Amino acid sequence: MIENLENTLQLAVLLCCTAVATVRAAAFKSRTWTLLALFFGSWVLGDCYWLCCAVFFGETPRIPLISDLSWYAGCIFLYTLLRQVSPPKTRAERRLLPWLGPVFTAAMAVFYLQWGQLFSNLVYASLMGLLLFSSIRRLMDADPACSHRMLCAAILIFCFLEYGMWTASCIWEGDTLRNPYFWFEFAQTVFFPFLLPATKKAVTA
Amino acid sequence: MNYIENVYICMAAPLLLAILCLRREGRRSLIFLLAGMTACLLSAYISAFAAGAAGTDLVAASYEITPVVEETMKSLPLLFYLLVFEPQKKNVISGTLLVAVGFATFENCCFLITYGTSNLTRLLIRGFGTGAMHVVCGMVVAVGLFFLWDQVWLRAVGAFALLCFVITLHAIFNVIVTQAGPVFWIGSLIPLTMVLVYLLLFRRRVSLS
Repeated sequence: MIENLENTLQLAVLLCCTAVATVRAAAFKSRTWTLLALFFGSWVLGDCYWLCCAVFFGETPRIPLISDLSWYAGCIFLYTLLRQVSPPKTRAERRLLPWLGPVFTAAMAVFYLQWGQLFSNLVYASLMGLLLFSSIRRLMDADPACSHRMLCAAILIFCFLEYGMWTASCIWEGDTLRNPYFWFEFAQTVFFPFLLPATKKAVTA
Repeated sequence: MNYIENVYICMAAPLLLAILCLRREGRRSLIFLLAGMTACLLSAYISAFAAGAAGTDLVAASYEITPVVEETMKSLPLLFYLLVFEPQKKNVISGTLLVAVGFATFENCCFLITYGTSNLTRLLIRGFGTGAMHVVCGMVVAVGLFFLWDQVWLRAVGAFALLCFVITLHAIFNVIVTQAGPVFWIGSLIPLTMVLVYLLLFRRRVSLS
């Protein structure tokens, strides 16, 4: 019950975010806003499929690949958005810290293998590793006044919340509010709209 | 039992002859239509095989297996076109829609043969609901590609992500239309609503022709 309510709330918030990003994409004919709209849209579709199966069939999807595909697409659009607002430098300084991202996601993938499937774990680890690596590197390279710092920080928070949610789902404590999974999911729901001002700042600079 | 390969031959023959006679844009458009029909025929075989292999019933297969197979098969002619011919943006975008139209047309023909032509309401739902959904999925890919065209890496990554996106969209639609009552009617209106949103927001800004 709580899971369905939480999913519905997240879906409503994401739908609003998708609508705002889509209108801006159409108004400014902007690729950046299109990518953000597609990111939100992907998350909406993934949540919606999950919720439809839960409501209409009384169970989570038997084959979760469909929702996963949508969330993979969301991660790809988010990475593309980051690359769009901050193209990689041809001669970037080699640093060690950004590599912590892929190392962390690889370690977590090994941990999640106790519950999840190999393929989806590998794909999520790769996509999240890429997102973490790119956003940490851009955060380190950027000036303090740089316009895309907020977006990089937002992406880092997004990844942190996703990992919090996945880890909490490994030690599932039932459909109660004491389950930390719902705290992370609620935090993510509250966080999603912050991607709009972060993108706006990166675009208008 | 329907022999869909016979239906396919009957529908594809005049198109094939026209393809031989026409040149340039006309020929390209008909090739895309034919490719869409072929993708539909192959999807039916592959979906049936995959559903049998996975041991799912037809209803479950319609939202677990069919969307993945159908959308992937629809993307293959375009992938071939993109990789082999290095086409222009407008040709790929119109091609995406034409493949979807070919796919929906052939699927509707098979539907007519199976369920007959007497119930107009059912046919309207089929035409403007399920049939239109294929066109909407094609349109989403086309509009997405329009914005993500400039760089090759963006095109490739964007095309894959858009494919994932439309697979889920298609699956949600199939889940909703397997329900009865108001849910079914709301679900059937999704494609039309999406076309209206496109006409309101993007038509003047994104030329798909």
